[in-house]
Amino acid sequence: MPAPHRGWHEDSAAILVGGLLVALALAVGWLWRPLTGADSRAEHPKGWPNPLAASINKPQTWDASPAAAFVDRKGKPVTMAILLGLGWIVAVSAAGAWLRGQRVTGVLPGAVLLALLGGLAYLLAAQKVIHFYNLEYPLWALLVGLVIGNTVGVPRWLAPALQGEYLIKTGLVLFGAEVLFSRLLELGLPGLLTSWVVTPIVLVVTYLFGVHALKIPSKSLCMVISADMSVCGVSAAIATGAACRAKKEELSLAIGLSLAFTALMMVAMPPFIREMGIDPIVGGAWLGGTIDATGAVAAAGEILGRDLGDKRPAEVATTVKMIQNSMIGLIAFAVAVYWSGWVDRGASPLRRSLAAEAWLRFPKFILGFVAASIVCSWLFTRGAGPALWVDGAIDGFTGRLRGWLFCVGFVCMGLQTVFRELAPVFVSGRPLVLYVLGQALNLALSLAMASLTFGWLFRQGGGP
Amino acid sequence: MTSVVPAAPPGIATGVTRLATALAVIALVWLGLLPRLGAWAPVAGHIRRMEEGRINTAAMVYTELERLPLRPDWIGDELALWRLPTLSREHR
Repeated sequence: MPAPHRGWHEDSAAILVGGLLVALALAVGWLWRPLTGADSRAEHPKGWPNPLAASINKPQTWDASPAAAFVDRKGKPVTMAILLGLGWIVAVSAAGAWLRGQRVTGVLPGAVLLALLGGLAYLLAAQKVIHFYNLEYPLWALLVGLVIGNTVGVPRWLAPALQGEYLIKTGLVLFGAEVLFSRLLELGLPGLLTSWVVTPIVLVVTYLFGVHALKIPSKSLCMVISADMSVCGVSAAIATGAACRAKKEELSLAIGLSLAFTALMMVAMPPFIREMGIDPIVGGAWLGGTIDATGAVAAAGEILGRDLGDKRPAEVATTVKMIQNSMIGLIAFAVAVYWSGWVDRGASPLRRSLAAEAWLRFPKFILGFVAASIVCSWLFTRGAGPALWVDGAIDGFTGRLRGWLFCVGFVCMGLQTVFRELAPVFVSGRPLVLYVLGQALNLALSLAMASLTFGWLFRQGGGP
Repeated sequence: MTSVVPAAPPGIATGVTRLATALAVIALVWLGLLPRLGAWAPVAGHIRRMEEGRINTAAMVYTELERLPLRPDWIGDELALWRLPTLSREHR
């Protein structure tokens, strides 16, 4: 990627643009707040309706004809909202280019094409078989980029628009608004223990095993695989990958592994829990603690719940996963500190204090991510109305734009990846071994902790 | 994430042919194979269950789920959230 540094660093640009977009969503949500029922979750289950929602959407699920992707479930056309969403991507790209000192007119044509390619990736991901087996859009965004980059190549006029890292970092700042600390407390101590004890143990043990036992040369690959497997799949891989500056091939591999195993676990775990006679609440907590992707957890919980005629597994599973989602900010921050203070420095002697050395290398966009999380978490705790205000801003705008930014960011990564660069990462097979062994540890520890906390220690009346 | 723009593949005509081939394969899979797979009873059943339950299986984070996973109403009856349940320990 060309990296002109006449202007702002891309991290600073991502913080400014992401921060302004979060502020815009909150401001619009506040100005158009509902006049009645503003404190009622029953009236606004996903928060206050945000008018910006009309300006951004994505292709809907379709079966045989892609034309169905442009009409929502209620039969309302979404084509205009999709086109306006592409406009947001172009605007964010142009703002980034301007802040970084690039010529905006030189970036615009490429930004439009990249936004369209992002739309194509979303369209591929919306096919029902793909969608309902959790093969998420980053995979197809990478595929679209890889196909073009490795056939006709990247034309010269497109190169200035390839701001994948900036787009992903801006998306991560928006993502910060979704990481609300109070969500961590939804299931009390059982939820906290299941997530906060097991997840860090699995993350650290898997990482150390990859580095020291399997001797995988790339520490960042070990970290990205460990995070996506132990925390919450693709979103954790993106956040920690940016925090430890993983190579795009490593991030692609980690995402591919995660999605493959997620689909498998989503289908296999519910019948296993049922056949083994595991308590439904414990089973739900186990699903939430182990399956990587949030959507797949919801699906597995639904399958288990339907089989047992019990809604509790799905509710516990998605809530445990939400608690894990809410850990991403702290984990990404911790990884960034560890990487900048220890890993990146290697064995070189300290020329200044450890803190100063770490600050030099620290990926500053993480501060925007954490700041968005802190501000929205604080607002969220101000009462029922503000909580619905934050939820509405996320659901109506920042969450949707974050998805588009990640999607186009992954198209850029695909365009810049040569197939032969992927080969060395794949051929050794060690990343696969790391994922499988790490997931085995995750499955064992999560089941033990879920049984202990949800099944016995905190269970009213002495357990199932 | 480090990044490199790949070197231009050899020959525009070859590249265009390869791109056309790749697009044809994608079209074949997405417009032909996947719809047929989706009509296969086990897969169709899974899709139907997910649609009926309004499950966004592709959600990357909880905010993308159709229903936000908030604390279930029944949870207090089943679990002591912030203390060890004394009664149940005596019971044991």
